[in-house]
Amino acid sequence: MTENASPNSALSSGQTSHAGASIVATNMTKVYGSGDAAFHALGPIDLDIKPGEFVSLIGPSGCGKSTTLLMASGLEPCTTGTIKVDGKALTKPLSEVGIVFQDHLLLDFRTAMNNVMLQQEIRGLDKAQTRARADMLFDRLGLSHAKDRYPRQLSGGMRQRVSIARALVHDPSMLLMDEPFGALDAITRTQIRHDLEMLWLETRKTVLFITHSIEEAVGLSDRVLVMSNNPGRIVEEIKIDLPRPRPAHLGEYPEFSAYAERIYKIFAKLGVYKF
Amino acid sequence: MKSPLSSARQIAEPIIWFAGLLLIWEFLVRWFEVPSFILPAPSAFLSQLVIDHERLARHGLITTKLILYGFVAGAIPGIILAYLIARFRLADQILYPIVVFIQGMPKITLAPLLLVWFGFADFPKILLTALITFFPVLVDSATGFRAIDKRQYYLSRSMGASWWQTFTKFELPSAAPYIFSGFRITAVVAVTVVIVVEWLNSQSGLGYLVLRAMDSSNTPLLFAILMVASMIGVVLSGLVTLVERLLLPWRSV
Repeated sequence: MTENASPNSALSSGQTSHAGASIVATNMTKVYGSGDAAFHALGPIDLDIKPGEFVSLIGPSGCGKSTTLLMASGLEPCTTGTIKVDGKALTKPLSEVGIVFQDHLLLDFRTAMNNVMLQQEIRGLDKAQTRARADMLFDRLGLSHAKDRYPRQLSGGMRQRVSIARALVHDPSMLLMDEPFGALDAITRTQIRHDLEMLWLETRKTVLFITHSIEEAVGLSDRVLVMSNNPGRIVEEIKIDLPRPRPAHLGEYPEFSAYAERIYKIFAKLGVYKF
Repeated sequence: MKSPLSSARQIAEPIIWFAGLLLIWEFLVRWFEVPSFILPAPSAFLSQLVIDHERLARHGLITTKLILYGFVAGAIPGIILAYLIARFRLADQILYPIVVFIQGMPKITLAPLLLVWFGFADFPKILLTALITFFPVLVDSATGFRAIDKRQYYLSRSMGASWWQTFTKFELPSAAPYIFSGFRITAVVAVTVVIVVEWLNSQSGLGYLVLRAMDSSNTPLLFAILMVASMIGVVLSGLVTLVERLLLPWRSV
């Protein structure tokens, strides 16, 4: 972490500050059923994600991106394989983690702030300290006026921002995002993508990010893993070597287009597109 | 936002219509000289309500108490069983078919049987009310617990939530609107059930008073009892709505 004089640096400081964790998964597979009825859905998959790295998984629907993400965090058991987080074998669900799904999954009976503070209640964190962090995240995500609103009073983009705050308020070492912007309109998506990148630059959590969007994958990641179907496998790894923060309109930049082109070509080769 | 004026109108309008209806009723009964034991004029049963108010209140309270006991005794196991059915496949496979079968049974026909088994005290009345409450609450609560997004459990697990935390902070409040809709169905039915069982045996309660009124051909008193019973039903469902608003404020924003 570089020293940062802005007041926002408090996001990454404080007594429980966690930098990103590393995840090393070896030979992960998922098989449903057994015997003749066994269905080999996924893998073998190897992941080697460095601390603070932003890695995207991109691939056609049903290729097992979500399952990969859940298995890598121990939230879903794998049939075979081992996972090590910061060098230690993962035996139970990882709790130093924040999750954002495509649907906000906020509790509609709690206000935006209370949804975020649920992390504090359940984890038994210090209330004042967590609240201060939550306030800061709300501020950074442009949610300051929405603290006391219920989810149904918020727009889709705002709800997703609240779930990002919920995923970060306890200062986890890893952020799991499963198509977090999939249900948002293009304009909101571009803005929230940028806001996420800025937050990430500051906190350097390890991010595992699932998307269908090539623009999102290239726009955010250090590394893009392209997956194929039946069974789900990682077929290609692309390092994205572009300066940060990345611009809103990526299409203007030839380097960006070259990366996007590469992913398109892989999809075409896999038969993802049938034109 | 509703203005106070418009909500005052909302309350006043039905009252005016109701009063008008009673006036027409009164007029028709007098015009055609309908005998009171067939159809009493509103003036007759409303004055009966005043004359007999002490008796009506006493028996009305007894009936209300039985309804409330039965309600609580049915609702709590209903919610618990709904949770088990929604969360555990085994409970679902074993219990749900039984539940569906019993739910189709007209439970009021169990009343005589329950009286044979449990005698003539309050217990069979409470038990039957509990049974009638149990099923709608169970079915609606189970729907509520099942409606919880599976990914919600990934979130709670990632937070390291205990079973109790998951139940109290995620599951119960998520299912609460469904549970309350079960309560609302029950609140009115429960009044009927207790009165019907009181017909079969009782020395007290509104059902007992109904029998007394019939014995003496006191039709105005029957109508007065009907008014009291409706009032109990209205107040109970109003209470359910009120508690729901207080406990679930986000529903009305």
